[in-house]
Amino acid sequence: MMLVNLYPLKEFKLPVVAECINPDIFQGKKPKEIEGLEVWEGNKQKRLGELFKVEVAKEESVSEAAVITIHGDVSHVKRIGVGMKGGEIVVKGDAGMHLGEEMSGGKITVYGNVLGWAGSMMKGGTIEIHGNAGDYLGAPYRGSTEGMKGGKIIVHGNVGNEVGAHMKKGLIKIYGNAGQFVGFRMHGGTIYVQKDCGGRGGACMTDGTIVVGGFLESVLPTFTIEGLRKRVKIEEGEVVEAPFYLFLGDLTENGRGRLFVAKEPNPHLGYYEKFL
Amino acid sequence: MPVVKAVTCPVCGSLCDDIELTVENGRIVKVKNGCAMCEAKFLGYCGEHRVLKPMIRKNGGLVKTTLKEAVRRAAEILAEANYPVLYGWSSTSCEAISVGIELAEEVGGVIDNTSVVCHGPSILSIQNVGIPSCTLGQIRHRADLIVYWGSNPWSAHPRHIERYTAFAEGRFEKSAWRSYVNKVKALVGRKKLQSAIKRLFVKKPAPVPPPISEYKPYPFITKEGRKLIVIDVRRTKSAEIADYFVQVEPNKDYELLQAFRMLIRDQELEVDRVAGVPVEYLEEVADVMVSCDFGALFFGLGLTMSSGKLRNIDAALSLVRDLNMRTKFIIMPMRGHFNVTGANIVFTWQTGYPYAVDFSLGYPRYNPGETSVVDVLLRKESDAAIIVASDPVSSFPRKAAEHLVKNPLIVIDPHMNVTAQMADVLIPSAFVGIEASGTAYRMDHVPIPLKKVVNPPKGIHPDEEILRRILKEVRRIKKKEEAA
Repeated sequence: MMLVNLYPLKEFKLPVVAECINPDIFQGKKPKEIEGLEVWEGNKQKRLGELFKVEVAKEESVSEAAVITIHGDVSHVKRIGVGMKGGEIVVKGDAGMHLGEEMSGGKITVYGNVLGWAGSMMKGGTIEIHGNAGDYLGAPYRGSTEGMKGGKIIVHGNVGNEVGAHMKKGLIKIYGNAGQFVGFRMHGGTIYVQKDCGGRGGACMTDGTIVVGGFLESVLPTFTIEGLRKRVKIEEGEVVEAPFYLFLGDLTENGRGRLFVAKEPNPHLGYYEKFL
Repeated sequence: MPVVKAVTCPVCGSLCDDIELTVENGRIVKVKNGCAMCEAKFLGYCGEHRVLKPMIRKNGGLVKTTLKEAVRRAAEILAEANYPVLYGWSSTSCEAISVGIELAEEVGGVIDNTSVVCHGPSILSIQNVGIPSCTLGQIRHRADLIVYWGSNPWSAHPRHIERYTAFAEGRFEKSAWRSYVNKVKALVGRKKLQSAIKRLFVKKPAPVPPPISEYKPYPFITKEGRKLIVIDVRRTKSAEIADYFVQVEPNKDYELLQAFRMLIRDQELEVDRVAGVPVEYLEEVADVMVSCDFGALFFGLGLTMSSGKLRNIDAALSLVRDLNMRTKFIIMPMRGHFNVTGANIVFTWQTGYPYAVDFSLGYPRYNPGETSVVDVLLRKESDAAIIVASDPVSSFPRKAAEHLVKNPLIVIDPHMNVTAQMADVLIPSAFVGIEASGTAYRMDHVPIPLKKVVNPPKGIHPDEEILRRILKEVRRIKKKEEAA
């Protein structure tokens, strides 16, 4: 197994575009070759070695894939692990935008916060964020209607707006709060928000499941109540045991998406019980 | 005294092109046909805040200099920058914007126009959903239902109602002006009668306003001709002239739009009120929308800049799409600056994207939120800026403005505005549409020529000319660097 350690040589002020920080690209390369990979800092093209100290180690292991560890704050570094197919990236610090965009395999772990568009349009693999995530987690780029198609994103902190917009498949688990428009126009897959949700959850969804374990200000008027459920299954081996209201929608899009909202933190939704 | 006819007004996105100006000794002395904003601009553009000499900051103060020196300093700043920002563009001509984009490509910067803080969300949703629209002439002659959502044209686009919508005399639709006058007369009469009764009989204690839950919507006044619906958070002057006024709770427009979509699709709502409005009243308004022959929905910043932002527009566009299954309906954003539409159009034809275009990698990239100027400034990533015909320091969030003025700042503007006061290089320019000719796009994407009515003060050039000189100087510096 190839172990690569990257240490930022300075505190970044300008935006850095570093698509080359990808286990598939590092795989089988010598340290000099890795240092010579192209990156952009502002409007100037540079070498990876000019911005990061690169250390390469080898470890006896069954797995051949590379493991990249970034030590330090790289919140201005965009497009880390874009399109990766295997291997692992560990960021010990904050990470920038478009982390793991369109990845189809492997794992990214961040021990810090990430900015917008993390796991955008991902097809497979896992992203685990131990801090907060920005807006558009797992959502597509501007103008596209093709969201996340597979894989798993786990966030232990809070997330911004429009998590999993246009999502088709896969799983997003958020153990903190989420912003507005969770699962906007989603067509499939599952989003679980353990704590509070900013409202307008599931707007224009046609299919898929959204589970809100905390407070939800209001359910959109375009949803209809279906019933009460005692428990909800998030994935294999994870079931939330609590009474949930089940809403179906979005009716404006002839949708059959399922929106589960926990009963206890939302006494104001008791109004809907008369329809049951 | 010479009178110049058919002048285009360079103030708001309506671009009224029937202004008549009287010119005396090289100054405009009289304005005919214009609104208050138009008159203020044509009569007051050459006021005390006009800058007449290029300036450069030296030892903390702005010092007068020559145009050549100011252009050289501006070009140096831009050529040295690693991530410059080029912002403004909505109050200048398309020709100047075109040169600005060339400059952005040359210096590898981020170029953005003022739609980023006004109708940017509209553009994002139009790209997602699409827009059924038409020209304002069509609306003037054919529309029998006008909806203003989150905009107050009476104050912000004063001649919009008179020229294109409710009070316009169209070929197939009559003006609603007469019935509005009758309505006002009736209201005044009723008020007089009430006050006379009050004075004649015993005084009653002042009525206590009813609680919100008992709030009753504005009653519909029957009249002939076009109908006008206003949806807003407060009762504006435009709402006063409307047939239906829907007072939506602040930041609940999305819910209301989605509810309208349900009603138009003949679906039942499970709630009694949406966004503070009783569902029965919404049903009545939805009925009016469905039963019109040609409807037009105009939306303003009340939709684009309240909670939900681009998704509000997504819902509004979807609503119009749904309405088109039942009748003919179009939708149009109420653009603010006179050439903000032109900025979007020139950006799109030259780069492929309407705003927030990043040239740092040598080719245009677009992702509002990442490449939009406000976000770049909030992340403190830029290292120089050029502002053309705009005043971001007074309109941007404080943190963004702070970062903007911390780095070298070039301003091209006729006035000493807040941003110009913070500039390192200040180059005064001529007013497009008064002292320089050019092209601007009206809010319905119709290009309209801007006239040169009077000569600019001596030594003052149009934005286009100044930008061309800076571009030439930047190219010269880059060539020299390459040779070295």
